Amino acid sequence: MIQLSNVVAKYSEGEGLAQVNLTVRPGEFAYLIGPSGAGKSSVLKIIYMDIFPQSGFVKVDGHSSFNLKRKHIPLLRRKLGIIFQDFKLLTDRTVMENVAFALHVTNARRKNIKKKVLRVLAEVGLSHKRNKIPNQLSGGEQQRVAIARALINEPIILLADEATGNLDPESEEEIIQLLEKINSKGTAILMATHDDKLVRGKNRKIIKIKEGRTY
Amino acid sequence: MNSGYLYTIVEGFRGLKRAKFSTSVSIFTIFITLILIAILLIFIFNVHRIVSQIQARMELEIFIDNSFVQQQIDNLQQQIVRIEGIESVRFVSKEEAAEFIKQQFGSDVFKILDDNPLPASFQIKLLPSYSSTKAAQKIIDELLKLDGIDDILYRHDLLVLLEKYMHIFLIIMIGVGSILALGSIILVSNTIKLIIYSRRNLIDIMKLVGATRSFIRRPFIVEGILQGITGGALAIIFFYVLFKIVKLEIPGLILIDERIYPILLFFGVLFGFIGSLLAMRKFLKE
Repeated sequence: MIQLSNVVAKYSEGEGLAQVNLTVRPGEFAYLIGPSGAGKSSVLKIIYMDIFPQSGFVKVDGHSSFNLKRKHIPLLRRKLGIIFQDFKLLTDRTVMENVAFALHVTNARRKNIKKKVLRVLAEVGLSHKRNKIPNQLSGGEQQRVAIARALINEPIILLADEATGNLDPESEEEIIQLLEKINSKGTAILMATHDDKLVRGKNRKIIKIKEGRTY
Repeated sequence: MNSGYLYTIVEGFRGLKRAKFSTSVSIFTIFITLILIAILLIFIFNVHRIVSQIQARMELEIFIDNSFVQQQIDNLQQQIVRIEGIESVRFVSKEEAAEFIKQQFGSDVFKILDDNPLPASFQIKLLPSYSSTKAAQKIIDELLKLDGIDDILYRHDLLVLLEKYMHIFLIIMIGVGSILALGSIILVSNTIKLIIYSRRNLIDIMKLVGATRSFIRRPFIVEGILQGITGGALAIIFFYVLFKIVKLEIPGLILIDERIYPILLFFGVLFGFIGSLLAMRKFLKE
């Protein structure tokens, strides 16, 4: 489903990707582990095609970096859910509006939006806080809003970039459990983290990355 | 209903509300530019009106050979009337001419001279579309082919001068107007760039969740157009009130007709539209 093959993407000296190979199969939960600056975010950016490989290629659900037209990038992104360490929520809108935003901007039918938003908010356990704005929520709750937004378009994979990096251990555990639950329903997950502890004792696929190389 | 279009409009208005200061600056810029452009247009319009009036009043005076008898004069008039571009021909007899001189100068030619030396003449009015020097010259050439015309009086020099300066005037005005328009567009574009910059978080999120570039662009363009409409409306109100006051103060002075209002609105929308388009183009370039 996702394949990176010999991807090189160097943008400045010492930065970027030197040699990246990885695959994520449908329904898989994989960790991308490496220290800060190892190129984890770049790998994710390659997957959601924010940057393109200088050599090698990436294939995501049939879209290949070889021949993907720029205007088709939005269509690719609608198949992906992406969450970040800093949540990237709109602070002037309610939880519901934040989640609905992903549907509004992809021209979804209006009558379906509310139903879908309520369903996905229930899934992440935030139905009761749907009218709050992000600043009224804890970090863990904000990340759950971001997850809800990522899930609303029913992605084939959820890309998580240090998704628990800003959270206290308790919230971290909650988010991991939520991701496990989402994965158990069939959505693949690729989680980039610097934190070895997260994968300890879990029987999950681990891709290690260091200085832009996977091994 | 598809939620996209509603979203575009709602976001456009929302943007205006969110970036109150930048929006006000942008609207004010458009407003001031429109006022300057309107002043230019009013100026051009009035100068053109005055020049046209002068042109319309231009008459040809044809002096008839003194030896011509009435029958010949009538024939000549028939021939003149047939020339294209002539609106009317009025015969002025020797006696009328003398009477005119008497009225103008208060002295009777017959008191000084035994004979009336003034020639009979035709006063010819040209159709408005033939009042340019070029068209008038063609008519004069035609007239000169006819027998019995002694001389043609035509204030050619004045017209040539007027037309020449009118051309230069128009070119300068169009130049000044273009510079003003360009300046306004650049200012509006920069203001919208600031607004976009302040909302890069929103744009990033839109890109992440798969909004197309045109979709991201639309609310900002709506915003630009709304700014243009507001700036235009303010300019319209400004001139409407101004004209009311001026007309009260100086009755009978026609400054300009109401065509200026839609023109102001049009330019306002145009500046807002182009300004936001330019701003987006730079920002969304990847």
